Amino acid sequence: MGGRVMGLGTLLHHVLDHPRFSILSTIGGWMPGEVFPAFFEMEMFERALIAALLITVVAGLYGTFLMLRNLSLIGDGLAHVSFGGVAVGVAFGAVAPMDIASLACVFSAICIYELQNRDILSGDTSIAIFLTGALAFGLVILRLFGQGITTDIEGYLFGSLVLIDDARLDRITATSAVALFSLAVFHRPLLAITIDSVAAKMQGIPVHFVGLWFSVMVALIVVNMVQLIGALLVTALLVTPAATAQLVSRSFRGSLLWTQGFGLTSTFLGLYLSAELNTGSGSMIALVAAMLFATVGLLKLIASQLPDFKAPSPPEEARG
Amino acid sequence: MSKGKPIISISDLTVQRGGAVVLEGVNLDIHAGDFVGLSGPNGSGKSTLLMTVVGELEPMSGRVEVFGEKPGSKASRGRIAWVSQAAAQLPPSLKISVRELVALGTMSWIDMMLPFRRTDRAKRVEEAIRLVGLQDVANRNVQQLSGGQRQRAVVARGLATNAEVLILDEPLAGVDRASRDEFLKLLDGLCRKEGKTLVMVTHDQGAIHRCTQCAICIDGNVRFDEDHVATAPMLQVESLILDDTFPANQRTKAPWGGE
Repeated sequence: MGGRVMGLGTLLHHVLDHPRFSILSTIGGWMPGEVFPAFFEMEMFERALIAALLITVVAGLYGTFLMLRNLSLIGDGLAHVSFGGVAVGVAFGAVAPMDIASLACVFSAICIYELQNRDILSGDTSIAIFLTGALAFGLVILRLFGQGITTDIEGYLFGSLVLIDDARLDRITATSAVALFSLAVFHRPLLAITIDSVAAKMQGIPVHFVGLWFSVMVALIVVNMVQLIGALLVTALLVTPAATAQLVSRSFRGSLLWTQGFGLTSTFLGLYLSAELNTGSGSMIALVAAMLFATVGLLKLIASQLPDFKAPSPPEEARG
Repeated sequence: MSKGKPIISISDLTVQRGGAVVLEGVNLDIHAGDFVGLSGPNGSGKSTLLMTVVGELEPMSGRVEVFGEKPGSKASRGRIAWVSQAAAQLPPSLKISVRELVALGTMSWIDMMLPFRRTDRAKRVEEAIRLVGLQDVANRNVQQLSGGQRQRAVVARGLATNAEVLILDEPLAGVDRASRDEFLKLLDGLCRKEGKTLVMVTHDQGAIHRCTQCAICIDGNVRFDEDHVATAPMLQVESLILDDTFPANQRTKAPWGGE
């Protein structure tokens, strides 16, 4: 990869790290902990931090729509597919495993969408078939041609910050940029389709195209998430923050903002805790996300039990 | 009422769904300003007929023309609005206000992507909300509305599209009696005052009274009542709908003939 042109991600990294602005080092100065400030000082960790925050923002936005479209588990399915793709790439001497994973993922996402769309299979059934099929294919190929490479592959299962080199940061940034831009353009049609696809079609919205675009974007986002938080844990950032947000938000816009709040908190706190406690970053992010959901859910439950806290509580019972 | 060319014209239509013939030899013309009630027992092909009219299902044989063209073609785009239960039963995690829901109806594909384009959208939203009488709850979350209000919100979304034809798929399901009557009055007004053409599928035989024309689906056939339904044939209509078994002798008695 020598002599690469500076990509979007590297550019962003340079700006954030530029001595004139010294954004990262300033923030790093405020950060607690012994190991965590390294995320603002060491190149490798800086890249991981930028990538993780970017992907969290994108995953939260798309996750909200995934949840609304009842496709929460598609992230998990596509992550397995991309893991299968990575395995194939690694088995053949690491010829661009991410490219193979992206191809496999986009292909599967399109197939899953078409199978659903033509009423051939329900959503979760087609996800299940692609999930296991692609994963199994990758594992068999790895065993046949990989001659026992397992160390590399583990990083993709549980996520590894070390995997984020300049090229991958560029890829993640570019994908995030495309994902954000296209969502800005298509979010209204997507919402209209989510609410009622026939009505949307009658209105002249190209329902099939928008659905296909959404599937492809989710596939590309998932491939990039796999490197960061791991194939097994993708859903944690894709769906959990959106689900937590849904507990507290009162409007659609609110739910998008809350999702960002919970997602970024999960990533930030997860990275901090994993650095300080020396655990896997992906699993810690996923754990924090789940704990946030549990805490908010519990608080909401308690709040709803309190008398006179919410309007719909029956007055007889509240009086005791 | 002088009738010109029909807006929706169905002739000798046969539709298959999942390998079984659901509709066979159906003829039906719908003119501008009609309020057509489609009724019949479950599985009699009412919804299939609607799906064919909006181009979601392909006919096996026969002809369907909407505004003189094939269903789903450019000519009918934006001129027909689909008002279905699907939109009333939003995913529980979707928190969207009545106004936001209705606003989605006003946007064309281009508007949706370029929302900063100045159009009369806001006016159309308010007009649609006013027509269905939901001004007081326009900022309320759709999930917090009653069943009847929710249906009216969905109708408002359809109205906001400025479509001439509203196709309503079981709008009265899960709506209590009081709101049902109000809802029917609303549809009646839309037809008479706003000049909308309405096609409504319903199980509710009382609702059929409101329609200017009524068609009954029985075993894949559509019997179309040419006269006003409030007159004599209505009795048969009611007995047909009430009697789920539809004995053959009653079917032949239907005065409006069929094929």
